[in-house]
Amino acid sequence: MILLPAKKSHPLSEQSRSLRLDILEMINTAGFGHIGGSLSSVDILISLYNTDIFNFDKDHFILSAGHICPALYAVLAQKNKFPREELLTYAQFGSRLQGHLNLDTPGVEYASGALGQGLSFACGLALGDKNHHTVCLTTDGEHDEGQIWEAIAFANKFHQGNLINIVDYNGYQLGGSTAEMMPLGELASKYLHFGWTVTTVDGHNFYELENALKKAKSSSIYPACIIAKTTFGKGISFMENKSEFHDVKNMPEDIYLAAKNELQKY
Amino acid sequence: MNSKNIENKSIRQAFANTLFDLAVKNPNIYVVDVGLRPSLYLDKFAARFKSRFIECGIAESNAAAVAAGLSASGKTVFLTSFACFSPALNWAVIKQSICYNRQNVKIVGSHAGLMSGDLGATHQMLEDVALMRTMPGMEVFVPIDEAEMVKMLPVVAHSPFPAYIRLPRISTPKVFPSKYPFTIGKSQLLSVGRDITVLGYGPILTQLFSDDFKKYSLDIINCSSIKPLDFETILKSIKKTGRCLVIEDHQKNGGLGDAIASLILSSRIKCKYIHLAVDDSFGQSAKNYFDLYHHFGLSPLAIIQSIKSLLSKS
Repeated sequence: MILLPAKKSHPLSEQSRSLRLDILEMINTAGFGHIGGSLSSVDILISLYNTDIFNFDKDHFILSAGHICPALYAVLAQKNKFPREELLTYAQFGSRLQGHLNLDTPGVEYASGALGQGLSFACGLALGDKNHHTVCLTTDGEHDEGQIWEAIAFANKFHQGNLINIVDYNGYQLGGSTAEMMPLGELASKYLHFGWTVTTVDGHNFYELENALKKAKSSSIYPACIIAKTTFGKGISFMENKSEFHDVKNMPEDIYLAAKNELQKY
Repeated sequence: MNSKNIENKSIRQAFANTLFDLAVKNPNIYVVDVGLRPSLYLDKFAARFKSRFIECGIAESNAAAVAAGLSASGKTVFLTSFACFSPALNWAVIKQSICYNRQNVKIVGSHAGLMSGDLGATHQMLEDVALMRTMPGMEVFVPIDEAEMVKMLPVVAHSPFPAYIRLPRISTPKVFPSKYPFTIGKSQLLSVGRDITVLGYGPILTQLFSDDFKKYSLDIINCSSIKPLDFETILKSIKKTGRCLVIEDHQKNGGLGDAIASLILSSRIKCKYIHLAVDDSFGQSAKNYFDLYHHFGLSPLAIIQSIKSLLSKS
Protein backbone atom coordinates (compact mmCIF):
# COMPACT_ATOMS: atom_id res chain seq x y z
CA MET A 1 0.00 0.00 0.00
CA ILE A 2 1.26 3.43 -0.98
CA LEU A 3 0.81 6.05 1.70
CA LEU A 4 -0.40 9.27 0.13
CA PRO A 5 0.41 12.61 1.74
CA ALA A 6 -2.33 14.18 3.81
CA LYS A 7 -4.97 16.05 1.79
CA LYS A 8 -4.31 19.40 3.45
CA SER A 9 -0.81 19.54 2.08
CA HIS A 10 -1.96 19.33 -1.52
CA PRO A 11 -1.42 22.56 -3.47
CA LEU A 12 -5.10 22.59 -4.50
CA SER A 13 -6.39 22.44 -0.93
CA GLU A 14 -6.59 26.22 -0.64
CA GLN A 15 -8.77 26.36 -3.76
CA SER A 16 -10.96 23.66 -2.30
CA ARG A 17 -11.64 26.00 0.62
CA SER A 18 -11.98 29.30 -1.25
CA LEU A 19 -14.26 27.94 -3.99
CA ARG A 20 -16.51 26.38 -1.36
CA LEU A 21 -16.88 29.83 0.12
CA ASP A 22 -17.66 31.22 -3.35
CA ILE A 23 -20.39 28.60 -3.77
CA LEU A 24 -21.89 29.53 -0.40
CA GLU A 25 -21.82 33.25 -1.23
CA MET A 26 -23.46 32.68 -4.63
CA ILE A 27 -26.24 30.57 -3.20
CA ASN A 28 -26.80 32.89 -0.24
CA THR A 29 -26.96 35.97 -2.47
CA ALA A 30 -29.28 34.34 -5.00
CA GLY A 31 -31.48 32.93 -2.25
CA PHE A 32 -31.43 29.73 -4.25
CA GLY A 33 -29.08 26.97 -5.24
CA HIS A 34 -28.17 23.29 -5.21
CA ILE A 35 -25.62 23.28 -2.46
CA GLY A 36 -25.25 19.59 -1.54
CA GLY A 37 -24.10 18.45 -4.99
CA SER A 38 -22.08 21.61 -5.63
CA LEU A 39 -20.00 20.91 -2.52
CA SER A 40 -19.62 17.20 -3.33
CA SER A 41 -18.44 17.84 -6.91
CA VAL A 42 -16.24 20.92 -6.57
CA ASP A 43 -13.00 19.05 -5.84
CA ILE A 44 -13.49 16.95 -8.99
CA LEU A 45 -13.88 20.14 -11.02
CA ILE A 46 -10.85 21.77 -9.36
CA SER A 47 -8.80 18.72 -10.22
CA LEU A 48 -9.99 18.71 -13.85
CA TYR A 49 -9.27 22.38 -14.43
CA ASN A 50 -6.04 22.73 -12.45
CA THR A 51 -3.95 19.78 -13.59
CA ASP A 52 -2.34 19.72 -17.02
CA ILE A 53 -3.98 16.40 -17.92
CA PHE A 54 -6.61 18.11 -20.06
CA ASN A 55 -6.70 21.41 -21.88
CA PHE A 56 -10.33 22.45 -22.07
CA ASP A 57 -9.60 24.93 -24.82
CA LYS A 58 -9.30 21.79 -26.98
CA ASP A 59 -10.57 18.89 -24.90
CA HIS A 60 -14.23 18.97 -23.97
CA PHE A 61 -15.94 19.13 -20.60
CA ILE A 62 -19.62 18.32 -20.32
CA LEU A 63 -21.41 18.83 -17.02
CA SER A 64 -24.44 16.59 -17.29
CA ALA A 65 -25.93 17.57 -13.94
CA GLY A 66 -26.71 21.23 -14.65
CA HIS A 67 -28.07 21.93 -11.19
CA ILE A 68 -24.61 21.81 -9.61
CA CYS A 69 -23.52 24.73 -11.81
CA PRO A 70 -22.46 26.89 -8.83
CA ALA A 71 -19.42 24.62 -8.50
CA LEU A 72 -18.58 24.96 -12.20
CA TYR A 73 -19.13 28.74 -12.16
CA ALA A 74 -16.75 29.06 -9.19
CA VAL A 75 -14.09 27.06 -11.04
CA LEU A 76 -14.55 28.94 -14.32
CA ALA A 77 -14.28 32.30 -12.53
CA GLN A 78 -11.12 31.09 -10.84
CA LYS A 79 -9.79 30.23 -14.32
CA ASN A 80 -10.62 33.83 -15.39
CA LYS A 81 -13.31 32.83 -17.88
CA PHE A 82 -15.34 35.73 -16.49
CA PRO A 83 -14.92 38.25 -13.63
CA ARG A 84 -15.21 36.74 -10.16
CA GLU A 85 -17.69 39.48 -9.14
CA GLU A 86 -20.10 38.06 -11.69
CA LEU A 87 -20.56 35.00 -9.46
CA LEU A 88 -22.88 37.05 -7.29
CA THR A 89 -25.28 37.48 -10.24
CA TYR A 90 -25.93 33.72 -10.25
CA ALA A 91 -29.61 32.91 -10.99
CA GLN A 92 -30.56 36.60 -11.08
CA PHE A 93 -32.57 38.20 -13.85
CA GLY A 94 -30.37 39.05 -16.83
CA SER A 95 -27.34 37.11 -15.59
CA ARG A 96 -25.19 34.91 -17.81
CA LEU A 97 -24.95 32.55 -14.86
CA GLN A 98 -28.36 30.90 -15.05
CA GLY A 99 -29.91 28.66 -12.39
CA HIS A 100 -29.04 25.75 -14.64
CA LEU A 101 -26.32 25.88 -17.29
CA ASN A 102 -26.67 27.81 -20.51
CA LEU A 103 -24.33 28.51 -23.41
CA ASP A 104 -23.91 32.23 -22.70
CA THR A 105 -21.56 31.48 -19.81
CA PRO A 106 -17.95 31.62 -21.04
CA GLY A 107 -16.36 28.20 -20.72
CA VAL A 108 -19.63 26.26 -20.74
CA GLU A 109 -19.77 23.79 -23.62
CA TYR A 110 -23.10 22.13 -22.89
CA ALA A 111 -26.27 23.59 -21.36
CA SER A 112 -27.78 21.00 -19.05
CA GLY A 113 -30.56 20.90 -16.53
CA ALA A 114 -32.72 17.89 -17.35
CA LEU A 115 -30.69 14.94 -16.08
CA GLY A 116 -29.41 12.00 -18.08
CA GLN A 117 -28.62 13.74 -21.38
CA GLY A 118 -25.05 14.93 -20.93
CA LEU A 119 -23.33 11.57 -21.30
CA SER A 120 -25.12 11.01 -24.63
CA PHE A 121 -24.03 14.46 -25.81
CA ALA A 122 -20.49 13.65 -24.68
CA CYS A 123 -20.63 10.39 -26.70
CA GLY A 124 -21.59 12.33 -29.83
CA LEU A 125 -18.90 14.93 -29.24
CA ALA A 126 -16.22 12.29 -28.60
CA LEU A 127 -17.27 10.52 -31.80
CA GLY A 128 -17.09 13.71 -33.83
CA ASP A 129 -13.79 14.90 -32.34
CA LYS A 130 -11.55 11.87 -31.98
CA ASN A 131 -8.43 14.03 -31.71
CA HIS A 132 -9.35 15.20 -28.23
CA HIS A 133 -10.81 13.87 -25.02
CA THR A 134 -14.35 14.45 -23.85
CA VAL A 135 -14.84 14.39 -20.09
CA CYS A 136 -18.35 14.17 -18.68
CA LEU A 137 -19.42 14.66 -15.07
CA THR A 138 -22.58 12.84 -14.02
CA THR A 139 -24.03 12.03 -10.61
CA ASP A 140 -25.08 8.79 -8.99
CA GLY A 141 -28.70 9.95 -8.72
CA GLU A 142 -28.66 10.72 -12.43
CA HIS A 143 -28.13 7.02 -13.12
CA ASP A 144 -31.84 6.51 -12.39
CA GLU A 145 -32.37 7.85 -15.91
CA GLY A 146 -32.60 5.13 -18.56
CA GLN A 147 -30.87 7.34 -21.11
CA ILE A 148 -27.62 7.11 -19.14
CA TRP A 149 -27.59 3.37 -19.75
CA GLU A 150 -28.28 3.88 -23.45
CA ALA A 151 -25.20 6.10 -23.56
CA ILE A 152 -23.07 3.63 -21.58
CA ALA A 153 -23.92 0.91 -24.13
CA PHE A 154 -23.24 3.29 -27.02
CA ALA A 155 -19.76 4.26 -25.77
CA ASN A 156 -18.83 0.59 -25.57
CA LYS A 157 -20.10 -0.16 -29.08
CA PHE A 158 -18.06 2.68 -30.57
CA HIS A 159 -14.90 1.91 -28.51
CA GLN A 160 -14.81 5.46 -27.21
CA GLY A 161 -11.36 5.48 -25.63
CA ASN A 162 -11.43 9.27 -25.72
CA LEU A 163 -14.50 9.43 -23.47
CA ILE A 164 -14.35 9.69 -19.68
CA ASN A 165 -17.35 9.72 -17.39
CA ILE A 166 -16.78 10.83 -13.82
CA VAL A 167 -19.60 9.89 -11.48
CA ASP A 168 -19.97 12.16 -8.48
CA TYR A 169 -21.17 9.42 -6.16
CA ASN A 170 -22.43 11.42 -3.20
CA GLY A 171 -25.22 9.04 -2.28
CA TYR A 172 -28.04 11.58 -2.16
CA GLN A 173 -30.67 13.18 -4.38
CA LEU A 174 -33.61 15.51 -3.88
CA GLY A 175 -35.96 13.01 -2.32
CA GLY A 176 -33.56 11.05 -0.14
CA SER A 177 -30.56 8.75 -0.42
CA THR A 178 -29.94 7.18 -3.83
CA ALA A 179 -29.97 3.78 -2.12
CA GLU A 180 -33.49 4.49 -0.94
CA MET A 181 -34.79 6.20 -4.12
CA MET A 182 -33.44 3.66 -6.62
CA PRO A 183 -30.54 1.46 -5.53
CA LEU A 184 -27.63 1.45 -7.99
CA GLY A 185 -26.13 -1.77 -6.67
CA GLU A 186 -22.63 -2.52 -7.82
CA LEU A 187 -22.14 0.45 -10.12
CA ALA A 188 -18.49 -0.33 -10.83
CA SER A 189 -19.22 -3.85 -11.99
CA LYS A 190 -22.17 -2.62 -14.07
CA TYR A 191 -19.80 -0.31 -15.95
CA LEU A 192 -17.28 -3.14 -16.29
CA HIS A 193 -19.90 -5.44 -17.78
CA PHE A 194 -20.86 -2.70 -20.23
CA GLY A 195 -17.25 -2.73 -21.45
CA TRP A 196 -15.80 0.28 -19.65
CA THR A 197 -12.69 0.56 -17.50
CA VAL A 198 -13.52 1.64 -13.97
CA THR A 199 -11.54 3.32 -11.21
CA THR A 200 -13.04 4.15 -7.84
CA VAL A 201 -11.49 7.03 -5.93
CA ASP A 202 -12.05 9.36 -3.02
CA GLY A 203 -13.55 12.34 -4.83
CA HIS A 204 -12.10 14.79 -2.32
CA ASN A 205 -8.52 13.50 -2.58
CA PHE A 206 -6.60 15.41 -5.25
CA TYR A 207 -3.86 12.79 -5.50
CA GLU A 208 -6.33 10.01 -6.18
CA LEU A 209 -8.32 12.15 -8.59
CA GLU A 210 -5.21 13.13 -10.58
CA ASN A 211 -3.99 9.55 -10.83
CA ALA A 212 -7.40 8.33 -11.96
CA LEU A 213 -7.67 11.07 -14.59
CA LYS A 214 -4.21 10.22 -15.96
CA LYS A 215 -5.10 6.56 -16.12
CA ALA A 216 -8.45 7.27 -17.78
CA LYS A 217 -6.78 9.50 -20.36
CA SER A 218 -4.35 6.74 -21.32
CA SER A 219 -7.16 4.31 -22.24
CA SER A 220 -7.04 3.54 -25.96
CA ILE A 221 -10.28 1.80 -26.92
CA TYR A 222 -12.24 1.52 -23.70
CA PRO A 223 -14.38 4.35 -22.38
CA ALA A 224 -13.29 5.13 -18.84
CA CYS A 225 -15.46 5.59 -15.80
CA ILE A 226 -14.19 7.19 -12.62
CA ILE A 227 -16.47 6.63 -9.68
CA ALA A 228 -15.65 9.46 -7.30
CA LYS A 229 -16.97 8.68 -3.85
CA THR A 230 -17.84 12.00 -2.33
CA THR A 231 -19.68 13.50 0.62
CA PHE A 232 -22.92 15.31 -0.08
CA GLY A 233 -22.61 18.85 1.32
CA LYS A 234 -18.88 18.33 1.98
CA GLY A 235 -17.35 20.92 4.30
CA ILE A 236 -20.47 22.05 6.14
CA SER A 237 -20.97 19.45 8.85
CA PHE A 238 -24.69 20.01 9.39
CA MET A 239 -25.40 19.73 5.64
CA GLU A 240 -23.35 16.60 5.06
CA ASN A 241 -25.39 13.58 3.97
CA LYS A 242 -28.69 15.36 4.43
CA SER A 243 -30.90 15.30 1.36
CA GLU A 244 -32.84 18.36 2.56
CA PHE A 245 -29.71 20.32 1.57
CA HIS A 246 -30.01 19.15 -2.05
CA ASP A 247 -31.15 22.70 -2.68
CA VAL A 248 -31.74 25.67 -0.43
CA LYS A 249 -34.17 28.54 -0.68
CA ASN A 250 -33.52 31.82 1.16
CA MET A 251 -30.94 30.50 3.57
CA PRO A 252 -31.62 31.80 7.13
CA GLU A 253 -28.80 34.05 8.32
CA ASP A 254 -27.77 31.81 11.22
CA ILE A 255 -27.41 28.87 8.84
CA TYR A 256 -25.39 30.98 6.43
CA LEU A 257 -23.08 32.29 9.15
CA ALA A 258 -22.57 28.85 10.67
CA ALA A 259 -21.78 27.43 7.21
CA LYS A 260 -19.36 30.26 6.45
CA ASN A 261 -17.65 29.79 9.78
CA GLU A 262 -17.06 26.11 9.04
CA LEU A 263 -15.84 26.68 5.49
CA GLN A 264 -13.38 29.34 6.59
CA LYS A 265 -11.71 26.66 8.70
CA TYR A 266 -11.99 23.95 5.98
CA MET B 1 -57.98 9.94 -55.48
CA ASN B 2 -57.86 9.97 -59.24
CA SER B 3 -54.22 9.27 -59.78
CA LYS B 4 -54.30 6.60 -62.46
CA ASN B 5 -52.27 8.66 -64.87
CA ILE B 6 -49.89 10.01 -62.25
CA GLU B 7 -46.95 7.92 -61.19
CA ASN B 8 -46.79 7.58 -57.40
CA LYS B 9 -43.36 8.10 -55.95
CA SER B 10 -41.93 7.52 -52.51
CA ILE B 11 -40.92 10.59 -50.55
CA ARG B 12 -38.87 8.36 -48.26
CA GLN B 13 -36.93 6.99 -51.21
CA ALA B 14 -36.38 10.50 -52.50
CA PHE B 15 -35.14 11.51 -49.05
CA ALA B 16 -32.63 8.66 -48.93
CA ASN B 17 -31.39 9.22 -52.50
CA THR B 18 -31.02 12.96 -52.07
CA LEU B 19 -29.26 12.56 -48.74
CA PHE B 20 -26.84 10.08 -50.34
CA ASP B 21 -26.05 12.57 -53.10
CA LEU B 22 -25.50 15.34 -50.55
CA ALA B 23 -23.22 13.09 -48.49
CA VAL B 24 -21.07 12.31 -51.55
CA LYS B 25 -20.29 16.00 -51.86
CA ASN B 26 -20.29 16.94 -48.17
CA PRO B 27 -18.13 14.82 -45.81
CA ASN B 28 -19.73 16.53 -42.80
CA ILE B 29 -23.12 14.91 -43.30
CA TYR B 30 -23.86 12.22 -40.72
CA VAL B 31 -26.88 10.01 -40.10
CA VAL B 32 -27.82 8.96 -36.56
CA ASP B 33 -30.26 6.07 -36.76
CA VAL B 34 -32.33 4.16 -34.18
CA GLY B 35 -32.65 0.72 -35.71
CA LEU B 36 -34.87 1.71 -38.66
CA ARG B 37 -32.27 1.82 -41.45
CA PRO B 38 -34.22 -0.34 -43.94
CA SER B 39 -37.48 1.55 -43.33
CA LEU B 40 -35.84 4.82 -44.34
CA TYR B 41 -34.01 3.23 -47.29
CA LEU B 42 -30.65 4.06 -45.73
CA ASP B 43 -28.86 0.79 -46.55
CA LYS B 44 -26.97 2.40 -49.39
CA PHE B 45 -25.88 5.32 -47.20
CA ALA B 46 -24.81 3.00 -44.38
CA ALA B 47 -22.78 0.80 -46.75
CA ARG B 48 -21.03 3.66 -48.51
CA PHE B 49 -20.43 5.96 -45.51
CA LYS B 50 -19.75 3.46 -42.72
CA SER B 51 -18.14 5.95 -40.36
CA ARG B 52 -20.85 8.54 -40.97
CA PHE B 53 -23.78 6.23 -40.28
CA ILE B 54 -24.17 6.00 -36.51
CA GLU B 55 -26.47 3.18 -35.44
CA CYS B 56 -27.74 3.81 -31.90
CA GLY B 57 -30.13 0.89 -31.63
CA ILE B 58 -33.67 1.40 -30.39
CA ALA B 59 -32.76 4.29 -28.09
CA GLU B 60 -34.20 7.58 -29.32
CA SER B 61 -33.27 9.73 -26.33
CA ASN B 62 -29.61 8.79 -26.48
CA ALA B 63 -29.67 9.19 -30.26
CA ALA B 64 -30.99 12.75 -30.09
CA ALA B 65 -28.24 13.85 -27.70
CA VAL B 66 -25.56 11.90 -29.61
CA ALA B 67 -26.73 13.78 -32.72
CA ALA B 68 -26.42 17.06 -30.79
CA GLY B 69 -22.90 16.15 -29.64
CA LEU B 70 -21.86 15.28 -33.19
CA SER B 71 -23.24 18.61 -34.33
CA ALA B 72 -21.19 20.35 -31.62
CA SER B 73 -18.11 18.86 -33.28
CA GLY B 74 -19.10 20.53 -36.55
CA LYS B 75 -21.16 17.89 -38.33
CA THR B 76 -24.52 18.28 -40.06
CA VAL B 77 -26.56 15.50 -38.52
CA PHE B 78 -29.74 13.80 -39.73
CA LEU B 79 -31.52 11.99 -36.91
CA THR B 80 -33.75 9.45 -38.64
CA SER B 81 -36.67 7.53 -37.19
CA PHE B 82 -40.44 7.23 -37.28
CA ALA B 83 -42.23 10.38 -36.14
CA CYS B 84 -44.01 8.44 -33.38
CA PHE B 85 -40.62 7.77 -31.75
CA SER B 86 -38.62 10.84 -32.73
CA PRO B 87 -39.66 13.63 -32.02
CA ALA B 88 -42.24 12.01 -29.73
CA LEU B 89 -40.29 9.84 -27.26
CA ASN B 90 -37.28 12.16 -27.14
CA TRP B 91 -39.00 15.55 -27.09
CA ALA B 92 -37.27 16.83 -23.95
CA VAL B 93 -33.90 15.72 -25.30
CA ILE B 94 -34.56 17.63 -28.52
CA LYS B 95 -35.50 20.65 -26.42
CA GLN B 96 -32.40 20.68 -24.23
CA SER B 97 -29.61 18.95 -26.14
CA ILE B 98 -30.52 20.15 -29.64
CA CYS B 99 -32.49 23.41 -29.45
CA TYR B 100 -31.31 24.98 -26.18
CA ASN B 101 -27.76 24.00 -27.11
CA ARG B 102 -28.22 25.52 -30.60
CA GLN B 103 -27.17 22.38 -32.44
CA ASN B 104 -27.64 21.78 -36.13
CA VAL B 105 -29.62 18.55 -36.12
CA LYS B 106 -32.24 17.67 -38.72
CA ILE B 107 -34.88 15.41 -37.23
CA VAL B 108 -36.51 13.23 -39.86
CA GLY B 109 -39.76 11.65 -38.70
CA SER B 110 -41.15 9.12 -41.12
CA HIS B 111 -44.46 7.23 -41.21
CA ALA B 112 -46.26 10.33 -39.93
CA GLY B 113 -50.01 10.81 -39.94
CA LEU B 114 -52.92 8.48 -40.68
CA MET B 115 -51.11 7.56 -43.88
CA SER B 116 -49.17 4.92 -41.95
CA GLY B 117 -52.41 2.94 -42.28
CA ASP B 118 -52.25 -0.62 -41.01
CA LEU B 119 -49.74 0.15 -38.24
CA GLY B 120 -52.50 1.62 -36.08
CA ALA B 121 -52.75 4.36 -33.48
CA THR B 122 -49.38 3.89 -31.76
CA HIS B 123 -47.58 4.55 -35.04
CA GLN B 124 -49.90 7.13 -36.58
CA MET B 125 -48.11 10.20 -35.32
CA LEU B 126 -50.69 12.99 -35.29
CA GLU B 127 -49.03 15.35 -32.82
CA ASP B 128 -45.57 15.90 -34.28
CA VAL B 129 -46.20 19.25 -35.94
CA ALA B 130 -47.63 20.58 -32.67
CA LEU B 131 -44.64 19.25 -30.71
CA MET B 132 -42.12 20.77 -33.09
CA ARG B 133 -43.87 24.11 -33.80
CA THR B 134 -43.74 24.98 -30.11
CA MET B 135 -40.02 24.31 -29.82
CA PRO B 136 -37.96 27.55 -29.74
CA GLY B 137 -35.61 27.80 -32.72
CA MET B 138 -36.95 24.71 -34.49
CA GLU B 139 -37.94 24.91 -38.15
CA VAL B 140 -40.68 22.58 -39.43
CA PHE B 141 -40.98 21.30 -42.98
CA VAL B 142 -43.24 18.80 -44.76
CA PRO B 143 -42.66 17.95 -48.43
CA ILE B 144 -45.80 17.42 -50.47
CA ASP B 145 -44.20 14.89 -52.81
CA GLU B 146 -40.88 13.41 -53.88
CA ALA B 147 -40.16 16.33 -56.22
CA GLU B 148 -40.38 18.80 -53.36
CA MET B 149 -38.33 16.48 -51.14
CA VAL B 150 -35.52 16.59 -53.69
CA LYS B 151 -35.66 20.40 -53.73
CA MET B 152 -36.09 20.73 -49.97
CA LEU B 153 -33.33 18.55 -48.59
CA PRO B 154 -30.26 20.47 -49.86
CA VAL B 155 -31.81 23.73 -48.62
CA VAL B 156 -32.53 22.33 -45.17
CA ALA B 157 -29.11 20.63 -45.00
CA HIS B 158 -27.48 23.98 -45.77
CA SER B 159 -29.46 25.87 -43.10
CA PRO B 160 -27.56 26.20 -39.79
CA PHE B 161 -30.69 25.73 -37.65
CA PRO B 162 -32.31 22.64 -36.17
CA ALA B 163 -35.21 21.40 -38.27
CA TYR B 164 -37.93 18.79 -38.30
CA ILE B 165 -38.86 17.10 -41.57
CA ARG B 166 -42.08 15.07 -41.58
CA LEU B 167 -42.29 12.20 -44.04
CA PRO B 168 -45.23 9.94 -44.94
CA ARG B 169 -44.96 6.19 -45.29
CA ILE B 170 -46.70 5.75 -48.60
CA SER B 171 -45.92 6.73 -52.16
CA THR B 172 -47.82 9.75 -53.40
CA PRO B 173 -48.61 11.48 -56.70
CA LYS B 174 -46.34 14.22 -57.96
CA VAL B 175 -47.88 17.68 -57.87
CA PHE B 176 -44.94 19.97 -57.10
CA PRO B 177 -44.01 21.85 -60.28
CA SER B 178 -40.45 21.10 -61.35
CA LYS B 179 -39.70 24.76 -61.99
CA TYR B 180 -40.51 25.80 -58.41
CA PRO B 181 -37.71 26.20 -55.89
CA PHE B 182 -38.07 25.31 -52.22
CA THR B 183 -37.42 28.31 -49.99
CA ILE B 184 -37.52 28.32 -46.20
CA GLY B 185 -40.40 30.52 -45.07
CA LYS B 186 -42.11 30.50 -48.48
CA SER B 187 -45.23 28.62 -49.48
CA GLN B 188 -46.23 27.93 -53.07
CA LEU B 189 -49.52 28.49 -54.86
CA LEU B 190 -50.11 25.15 -56.55
CA SER B 191 -53.33 26.34 -58.11
CA VAL B 192 -54.75 29.85 -58.48
CA GLY B 193 -58.43 30.59 -57.93
CA ARG B 194 -60.68 33.27 -56.50
CA ASP B 195 -63.21 31.64 -54.13
CA ILE B 196 -61.44 29.69 -51.41
CA THR B 197 -57.94 29.58 -49.93
CA VAL B 198 -57.05 25.96 -49.24
CA LEU B 199 -54.06 25.50 -46.94
CA GLY B 200 -52.28 22.34 -45.92
CA TYR B 201 -49.05 20.39 -46.08
CA GLY B 202 -47.91 16.96 -47.12
CA PRO B 203 -49.50 14.42 -49.43
CA ILE B 204 -53.04 14.93 -48.10
CA LEU B 205 -53.15 18.05 -50.30
CA THR B 206 -52.62 15.97 -53.43
CA GLN B 207 -56.25 14.84 -53.10
CA LEU B 208 -57.25 18.27 -54.41
CA PHE B 209 -55.73 17.62 -57.81
CA SER B 210 -58.37 15.11 -58.90
CA ASP B 211 -61.06 15.95 -61.47
CA ASP B 212 -63.66 16.26 -58.68
CA PHE B 213 -62.17 19.61 -57.67
CA LYS B 214 -61.82 21.14 -61.13
CA LYS B 215 -65.17 22.93 -60.98
CA TYR B 216 -64.09 24.97 -57.96
CA SER B 217 -61.95 28.07 -58.09
CA LEU B 218 -59.34 27.40 -55.40
CA ASP B 219 -56.11 29.01 -54.25
CA ILE B 220 -54.26 25.88 -53.15
CA ILE B 221 -51.33 26.85 -50.98
CA ASN B 222 -48.69 24.30 -50.08
CA CYS B 223 -47.46 25.24 -46.60
CA SER B 224 -44.43 22.96 -46.72
CA SER B 225 -42.58 25.48 -44.61
CA ILE B 226 -44.82 25.31 -41.54
CA LYS B 227 -42.31 27.18 -39.43
CA PRO B 228 -41.33 29.76 -40.47
CA LEU B 229 -44.73 30.24 -42.11
CA ASP B 230 -45.28 32.42 -45.18
CA PHE B 231 -47.68 34.96 -43.64
CA GLU B 232 -47.55 37.23 -46.68
CA THR B 233 -48.70 34.72 -49.29
CA ILE B 234 -51.33 33.26 -46.99
CA LEU B 235 -52.84 36.60 -45.95
CA LYS B 236 -52.83 37.92 -49.49
CA SER B 237 -54.87 34.94 -50.62
CA ILE B 238 -57.31 35.01 -47.72
CA LYS B 239 -57.89 38.76 -48.24
CA LYS B 240 -58.78 37.93 -51.83
CA THR B 241 -61.07 34.94 -51.23
CA GLY B 242 -62.55 35.68 -47.79
CA ARG B 243 -62.82 31.92 -47.28
CA CYS B 244 -60.24 29.65 -45.71
CA LEU B 245 -60.05 25.87 -45.54
CA VAL B 246 -57.18 24.19 -43.65
CA ILE B 247 -56.63 20.47 -44.16
CA GLU B 248 -54.12 18.41 -42.22
CA ASP B 249 -53.34 14.79 -41.44
CA HIS B 250 -52.69 15.74 -37.82
CA GLN B 251 -54.52 16.64 -34.62
CA LYS B 252 -56.61 19.78 -34.77
CA ASN B 253 -54.95 20.95 -31.57
CA GLY B 254 -51.60 22.57 -32.19
CA GLY B 255 -51.44 21.98 -35.91
CA LEU B 256 -51.24 24.33 -38.90
CA GLY B 257 -54.88 25.29 -38.39
CA ASP B 258 -54.04 26.90 -35.05
CA ALA B 259 -51.27 28.91 -36.68
CA ILE B 260 -53.60 30.07 -39.47
CA ALA B 261 -56.50 30.91 -37.13
CA SER B 262 -54.16 32.94 -34.96
CA LEU B 263 -52.82 34.73 -38.03
CA ILE B 264 -56.32 35.56 -39.30
CA LEU B 265 -57.47 36.88 -35.92
CA SER B 266 -54.40 39.00 -35.32
CA SER B 267 -54.63 40.43 -38.85
CA ARG B 268 -58.29 41.37 -38.31
CA ILE B 269 -59.35 39.83 -41.58
CA LYS B 270 -62.97 38.78 -41.89
CA CYS B 271 -63.24 35.33 -43.41
CA LYS B 272 -65.13 32.08 -43.25
CA TYR B 273 -62.95 29.34 -41.81
CA ILE B 274 -63.08 25.53 -41.69
CA HIS B 275 -60.36 23.32 -40.24
CA LEU B 276 -60.34 19.66 -41.23
CA ALA B 277 -58.10 17.55 -38.99
CA VAL B 278 -58.27 14.71 -36.49
CA ASP B 279 -60.33 16.02 -33.60
CA ASP B 280 -58.89 14.87 -30.28
CA SER B 281 -58.84 11.16 -31.05
CA PHE B 282 -56.41 8.35 -31.80
CA GLY B 283 -56.02 6.75 -35.19
CA GLN B 284 -56.64 3.09 -35.95
CA SER B 285 -55.55 0.40 -38.39
CA ALA B 286 -56.78 0.23 -41.96
CA LYS B 287 -55.37 -1.55 -44.97
CA ASN B 288 -55.95 1.55 -47.03
CA TYR B 289 -55.47 5.00 -45.55
CA PHE B 290 -58.37 6.30 -47.70
CA ASP B 291 -60.67 4.50 -45.27
CA LEU B 292 -59.11 6.43 -42.41
CA TYR B 293 -59.40 9.73 -44.27
CA HIS B 294 -63.06 8.92 -44.83
CA HIS B 295 -63.57 7.99 -41.17
CA PHE B 296 -61.89 11.14 -39.86
CA GLY B 297 -63.51 13.52 -42.35
CA LEU B 298 -60.42 14.17 -44.45
CA SER B 299 -61.49 12.46 -47.68
CA PRO B 300 -62.22 14.25 -50.99
CA LEU B 301 -65.92 13.92 -50.14
CA ALA B 302 -65.47 15.69 -46.80
CA ILE B 303 -63.34 18.36 -48.43
CA ILE B 304 -66.00 19.00 -51.09
CA GLN B 305 -68.65 19.29 -48.38
CA SER B 306 -66.53 21.89 -46.65
CA ILE B 307 -66.00 23.76 -49.91
CA LYS B 308 -69.76 23.83 -50.47
CA SER B 309 -70.34 25.01 -46.94
CA LEU B 310 -67.83 27.83 -47.37
CA LEU B 311 -69.43 28.85 -50.67
CA SER B 312 -72.98 28.86 -49.27
CA LYS B 313 -74.57 32.23 -48.48
CA SER B 314 -75.43 31.34 -44.87
